[in-house]
Amino acid sequence: MTSSPCSSIRGFAAPGGSDIQFSKLPWLVLTPALVFVFVGVFAPFLMTHDPAAQDYTAILKSPSLSHWLGTDYLGRDLWSRIVGGARTSLVAMAFVLVAALVIGVVIGSIAGYVGGLVETILISLIDIALALPSLVIALALMGVFLGENFDWLSDYWKMVLALTLAWWANYARMSRAVVIAELQQPYIEAARVMGASHLWVFARHILPHVLGLVVVYASADAGALVLAIATLSFLGLGVAPPTPEWGQMLVDGMSYIEEYPSLVVIPGLALTAVVVSFNLLGEAFALQKVPRVLKGRLLRRKRAARKEEDLARTKAESQA
Amino acid sequence: MPEAALTENPASDPTATAAAIDVEDLKVHFRTSAGRVRAVDGVDLNVKIGAFHGIVGESGCGKTTLARAIVGLQSATAGRVRILGRDRAEWQSQDRKGFARAVQFIFQDPLGSMSRRQSVQQTMEEPLRIHGMGNARERRRKVEELLELVALPASVLDRLPRSLSGGQRQRVSIARALALDPEVLVCDEPLSALDVSVRAQIVNLFARLQAQLDLTIVIVAHDLAIVREVCSAVTVMYLGRVAEEGVARPLFADPAHPYSQALLFAVPSPDPRVEATRSRVLLEGDPPSPLNPPAGCRFSTRCPVAVGECRASEPTLRGVRHGGRAACLLADRTRHPVL
Repeated sequence: MTSSPCSSIRGFAAPGGSDIQFSKLPWLVLTPALVFVFVGVFAPFLMTHDPAAQDYTAILKSPSLSHWLGTDYLGRDLWSRIVGGARTSLVAMAFVLVAALVIGVVIGSIAGYVGGLVETILISLIDIALALPSLVIALALMGVFLGENFDWLSDYWKMVLALTLAWWANYARMSRAVVIAELQQPYIEAARVMGASHLWVFARHILPHVLGLVVVYASADAGALVLAIATLSFLGLGVAPPTPEWGQMLVDGMSYIEEYPSLVVIPGLALTAVVVSFNLLGEAFALQKVPRVLKGRLLRRKRAARKEEDLARTKAESQA
Repeated sequence: MPEAALTENPASDPTATAAAIDVEDLKVHFRTSAGRVRAVDGVDLNVKIGAFHGIVGESGCGKTTLARAIVGLQSATAGRVRILGRDRAEWQSQDRKGFARAVQFIFQDPLGSMSRRQSVQQTMEEPLRIHGMGNARERRRKVEELLELVALPASVLDRLPRSLSGGQRQRVSIARALALDPEVLVCDEPLSALDVSVRAQIVNLFARLQAQLDLTIVIVAHDLAIVREVCSAVTVMYLGRVAEEGVARPLFADPAHPYSQALLFAVPSPDPRVEATRSRVLLEGDPPSPLNPPAGCRFSTRCPVAVGECRASEPTLRGVRHGGRAACLLADRTRHPVL
């Protein structure tokens, strides 16, 4: 138990509830994902060269002091391209994730709260979107966006838009489920009896629960999204060439895979590391929410906490 | 026990004749796959301002549905509810908050009626925030006043509802309901989730609050002993209808309806001499299904004194000896032979 409920972030983490407790987060699991975010945010300071600058005097060099990870077939610094690629992935991922989350939560919440015909229509929409793999939808949308009608969008934003439209449905489905489950709780009725408007009930009581779940899911989803961005770029549908991007780098390196395997291995490893770290994060969050059999140290800790709580309760009772 | 609540019986006070709650031929039917459940099927109820009104009956007799319909948590199939002289549905649709300031509801399960992620302080402040009352400091002061009113220590403020005891939880939910200074308090079995030892405390609390704040309280209960202790007026319900109603003391002394008699005689007496000699009416079987209520008097299938006439037509409420009304053809005709 957290000693004071005020120490938690209001709305997102309730003390001792079924939600995430930030004090108990496994930092070991959190660190890799944070490293990725850090690299992405501070990329300009970490890059030793301009990732797009070509240097024909230093083509396909092995690692050295000036080029930490060597150079590619155009003499571009591999380290700077990896770091720049992290930034590209992070920014695109953040846009898609936030947009998909907002769209998903809005549509799902409306479906759950309003009910009736509106719900039937929206849930059909969600089910249609969920029936196809997200990546297939994104690929199809990219195909549409590459047409002439969408010339006003850069390739980058086309990718972000396509991925967003392919990604929201899961969040909508989850939001609706949470909204429906929460609406059945008697405290919602209690709030209504106190004169609360629907907006109040939704914003104060339901939305925090929705966000609590959806944000956790998003943290695990981030890895899959980074992979999808790389996949689109790999297929030539995503980020345009001069911008450093891991999927791009894989394509570029493929022709040299026998002589210079590091050109493929390094971006591949970067991609793997990011996906694994976000999956670990999501897993850790999920485990906190799933009840499981406690053993050993965890069990003792839980028992101690329960005892403490009982003690506090009896103390308060004797005071009363 | 709160003798005070009984002596200043508002039901017998000639000045307090205005109705706080006036229910007219209320029907609440639920459509289920099995058919229409007539949870409340034509109930008239009149609660005077300042009364402590008890609604009693077996499980499934519709008393909770009635209470929920009074505050608008349940929409009525037919009939009307007037509160403080205003039509409930109209009032609530026009001025939701104004209605909430006049009428508050207390739930059976105090834990369920509070958000599990809000501290006691946040829970108790919520009605004030909904109604935009006061700034942080004024709200805090109001919360402290309320705590004092329901006799809770300030140390509970930072706790979560689930870490409180049952009695404390119900006190918090009572305090929250009183935050808006309502005139009418409707309580849906506020005692049934509590330990017997705590019940008495909460009952005393209700009695004290009623006297202190001039509240009109409607309490749904299946514990007759409690109703007998504190209520000024009683309505006995059976299968979605009113079986008997009247001023508490005379009604309990001389119940006219055989169902009320059975309910009353089922309550054990604390006095062993009375307990050894008291007469009992044992009801056999379960109440009939509200899906398909019996013809004639609804109680006739289980009534120990029913005659053929009882199954022919449904009796209406009419005046009986104790001054209230009962829906029984045989009420007061004679003292029932079995009793």
